[in-house]
Amino acid sequence: MSFSPELVGQVENLWTRYPEKKAALIPAMHLIQKERDGWFSNETIVDTAELFGVPDMHVRGIVGFYDMFHATPVGRHVVRLCKTLTCKLCGAGELIKHVSTKYGVKNGETTADGRFTFKLFECLGHCTTAPMMLVDEEKHESLDIEALDGVLEGLK
Amino acid sequence: MTRETRVMLEYADDPAQKTLEGYRENGGYQALEKALREMSPDQVTAEVETSGLRGRGGAGFPTGRKWRFVPKTDKPKYLAVNADESEPGTCKDRQIMERDPHQLIEGSLLSCYAFGAKTAYIYVRGEYPHSIKALEDAIDEARAANLLGDKILGTDFCCDVWVHPGAGAYICGEETALLTSLEGNRGYPRIRPPFPAVEGLWHCPTIVNNVETIACVTHIIKRGGEWFSKLGCEGSTGTRLFCVSGHVKRPGVYEFECGKFTLRELIEGFCGGTLSGRPLKGVMPGGSSMPVLRADELDVTFDIESVQKAGSSLGSGAIMVFDDSVGAVGAAVNIAEFYSHESCGQCTPCREGSDWVRRMLLQFAAQDARDGDLDLLMDVTDKMDGTTICALAEALVWPVQSFVRKFRSEFEAAVRESAVGTATQ
Amino acid sequence: MSTNGKTVNVTIDGKQVTVPAGTNIIEAARHVNTEVPHYCYHPRLSVVGNCRICLVEIEGWPKLQIGCNTNVSDGMTVFTASDKVREAREGVMELLLINHPLDCTICDQAGECKLQDYAVDHGTGLTRFAFDKQKKPKNVSWGDKVVFDAERCILCTRCVRFLDELCGTDEIGIDFRGEKVSLIVRDDGQLTSPYQMNIIDLCPVGALTSRDFRFKSRVWFMQFANTLCTGCARGCNVVAGAREERLLRMVPRFNAQVNDHWMCDEGRLNYTFVNDEDRLVAPRVNGKDVPYDDALARAAAILQKAKEGGGGAADIAVLGCASPFMTNEELFSFAGLLDALGVTERRFAIPMGEGDDMLLHPEKAPNARGARLFGFQDAPVDAERDWDVVVHFAARDGGGLPDDLNAKSRIVFSLQVDKNADVNFPLTTSFEKDGTVISAGDRLQRVSKALTFAPSHLTERVVLDRLRGLIEDGYQGTDTAALALARIAQEHAAFEGLTWTGIGLQGVSLQLAEAEVGA
Repeated sequence: MSFSPELVGQVENLWTRYPEKKAALIPAMHLIQKERDGWFSNETIVDTAELFGVPDMHVRGIVGFYDMFHATPVGRHVVRLCKTLTCKLCGAGELIKHVSTKYGVKNGETTADGRFTFKLFECLGHCTTAPMMLVDEEKHESLDIEALDGVLEGLK
Repeated sequence: MTRETRVMLEYADDPAQKTLEGYRENGGYQALEKALREMSPDQVTAEVETSGLRGRGGAGFPTGRKWRFVPKTDKPKYLAVNADESEPGTCKDRQIMERDPHQLIEGSLLSCYAFGAKTAYIYVRGEYPHSIKALEDAIDEARAANLLGDKILGTDFCCDVWVHPGAGAYICGEETALLTSLEGNRGYPRIRPPFPAVEGLWHCPTIVNNVETIACVTHIIKRGGEWFSKLGCEGSTGTRLFCVSGHVKRPGVYEFECGKFTLRELIEGFCGGTLSGRPLKGVMPGGSSMPVLRADELDVTFDIESVQKAGSSLGSGAIMVFDDSVGAVGAAVNIAEFYSHESCGQCTPCREGSDWVRRMLLQFAAQDARDGDLDLLMDVTDKMDGTTICALAEALVWPVQSFVRKFRSEFEAAVRESAVGTATQ
Repeated sequence: MSTNGKTVNVTIDGKQVTVPAGTNIIEAARHVNTEVPHYCYHPRLSVVGNCRICLVEIEGWPKLQIGCNTNVSDGMTVFTASDKVREAREGVMELLLINHPLDCTICDQAGECKLQDYAVDHGTGLTRFAFDKQKKPKNVSWGDKVVFDAERCILCTRCVRFLDELCGTDEIGIDFRGEKVSLIVRDDGQLTSPYQMNIIDLCPVGALTSRDFRFKSRVWFMQFANTLCTGCARGCNVVAGAREERLLRMVPRFNAQVNDHWMCDEGRLNYTFVNDEDRLVAPRVNGKDVPYDDALARAAAILQKAKEGGGGAADIAVLGCASPFMTNEELFSFAGLLDALGVTERRFAIPMGEGDDMLLHPEKAPNARGARLFGFQDAPVDAERDWDVVVHFAARDGGGLPDDLNAKSRIVFSLQVDKNADVNFPLTTSFEKDGTVISAGDRLQRVSKALTFAPSHLTERVVLDRLRGLIEDGYQGTDTAALALARIAQEHAAFEGLTWTGIGLQGVSLQLAEAEVGA
């Protein structure tokens, strides 16, 4: 399967920024992941490798290295909840428990209705407004259980 | 008296500051004009040297001296701005990128001008979509206004600045891992020598500087190195951004001159003490990779050298505060989980050791440790210290060892009382 | 590395040594016969410094440094076994082993495993790791040649770098992060490089094993010979390993002038014919096994008759057909026999195949140069002519003679029974004898006996010499290949002054005129 012309155009534009095409791989993989339902199937890995002229296991190795790339299917949204020290100090532990009981998902799991994939992330850099989570690209800070439910229940 | 001195955050509360127009109204890009029209590249570097500016990413290396390491060569030179802000507790660079991005772009251009680079990449962690967007918008505006690209402001200086998103790996904040990642690879730190200033991106001289460091350059050129050097104190000149988080009444990102107050004054005074009113238990003064200070160790003046003498470090400027409801073992587990998750897996001691340490600490947390386990924990961490490619192993070892040393009784209490288990094995 | 001929003086464990500038500590230590332990470092691969076992102490430096990435400088004092170093090594050793399965009892690498060696030399012999070990994939097929065991892998990435940097095929990647890191290959699970088996030798542990050699033998039950691969004209230096007179494997042996540290897979796997069950083991006359004396007498009689029947050297209808698999010493003896008979028709044929710009040579035989040097021509045999006798050294493929060759008598040296032969002598392979060959680049190298073919066997050289003795009164052959070489050295200018020991394990360059050996 080939990528959309828009995506290829964006990637070609990225290539102009670097002396070597490969440098645009990670920025491009964000765009590719978005176009391919939020994860890297074997097919997407091979397509990406072909687009960049790198071995497919190089792309696979990048998917495996970076937390934001997914090697398995994800739900319609990706919820990333910070679990590192400050957020833990400020109540992230309760939020994690709550998500597990109320929505039935633990770290890395997707809700039965496919609404969201729940990922525990290491420090997301919003420590002064802890605890926080990213839902796709939107951030939600100073969370408590009520605020968290407000966000998650509002997801389509 | 603890109070803020705002330089980088001076206009941060003004939403218009994000725009080129707003930034220019507040004197933006004057430093660039001045440098390009009135100063030689060498003078820009000299000004930065005069300022006493030290890197704000954690290691505190003098910025001007780093730039001088760039060899005279025909090879292209690069600036890689480290915006992979990932040290737990740190959220300062985000303030600059999201609230006043042009000062970073201006600082990048000034730095490139100083050491002869024509391209700067701002490597922003992938988990910062808002920073990426704000920078990209600002770069577009700057390019449209000929502040970027060819013949900037009608001079012969040509320079481009690009945002490069990462994808979720703490290690890419390590300067050589950042370069490896930027080239399109798994973010593996590189062995040194060669140092990036000599051989970095695509084997060309590359300077890696933190966002805050580069933002400071803008203000140093605008107002003079002399002015900057008089802020703060010797060894910690200028102002610095600090992120105070955890159990305090008034968490936040603040801009201070160093050397003007003690850590206790900052936490108990400026930040209002603990949120719960419970007694303070400890503070990690420089991100989670630095040794913890106990509540009784906080009467230390807040500058690089004094905190170092107290056995810790200002690191990335992340001050994490916790009250006595927090167990030292639990905190150590959280830290070990972080670093073992983030170990790149390249070199033996870190790959194998960080996970072992994490598992040992979990055993303590489960009250399932045995006699000798505490000594073993200290010995294994000792063997990771100083034997690895990069400092990630030490970022695990130092805080963990400091928690054991400073709250030893809590770890000892976690050793299983009965010896039956060991006797029957 | 450019050193501009500069040297530096360093002290390593109290021993002073002068080495070229730009030498790293591991290599410098070799100069004083000290091994700094190392896994990831290899002199032909980029330096990555990931195993951390080569940490050494340098006077005046606060932290231990890795020997692989630290070049010695003038006046440097290095300690490779100080307390600090020992402690660090012990630490690295322990950490390397905590997740290692310790399945040496079923591991082919046992006996030549750096993990075993260094654990003994630098480990404590104890583990303090009280958890379950990491589970990773075992017995993973990487195609028909290499088998991967992720649990044994210490992630030194030598294999990754070899295929990327030296073969350009970049076929092994790394997946995951932290303690979960594992090697991966392309989606179809197949390595493709014609040099892929070198990664098995490069692997310092038992993570990469040879499908061909797996579970065949413990290495300490084997005997080894320093010899050559004879799969092509390159003459890659190898160590051939045999057990109970069966050849079990070849691995490359370092020779900077020939094959460096490597060999191709084609050559490496080109040995199984040695173990064929249907090898001809005793001489035969007219289809019956006979003692050597009888076979020699019969062959001599055939040759004598042809010699006497000929009307002079030009007319003698005897064809000498050599093979490029013969050693120089055999070719010399063969040429001597043909001289004694007055035979001028001397031929051989070179089996041709694929070459490349690394090691593979298109001539798929070790000694075409020798055959030319000793007067044999790689030209077609006159198939129209009626031959009285053909003396034929058959190559593995039968080699060199037209099927419809018209010959009254045939004296054949072959691996398998030749039904058309009047006298049929067993042919040995280069693994069953000593001798020399001239490899590509006119390099004279030794082949050495790795196994004994058959107890009563007479080598072809002895057979030829004795035949000559039966024809030429008073002719005495030589007892050993070394003595035969000494005789060659007296008669051939190109070999002047050369001796068996002088050639040594690495061979020597010959100065040959092109006319002598052909293009």
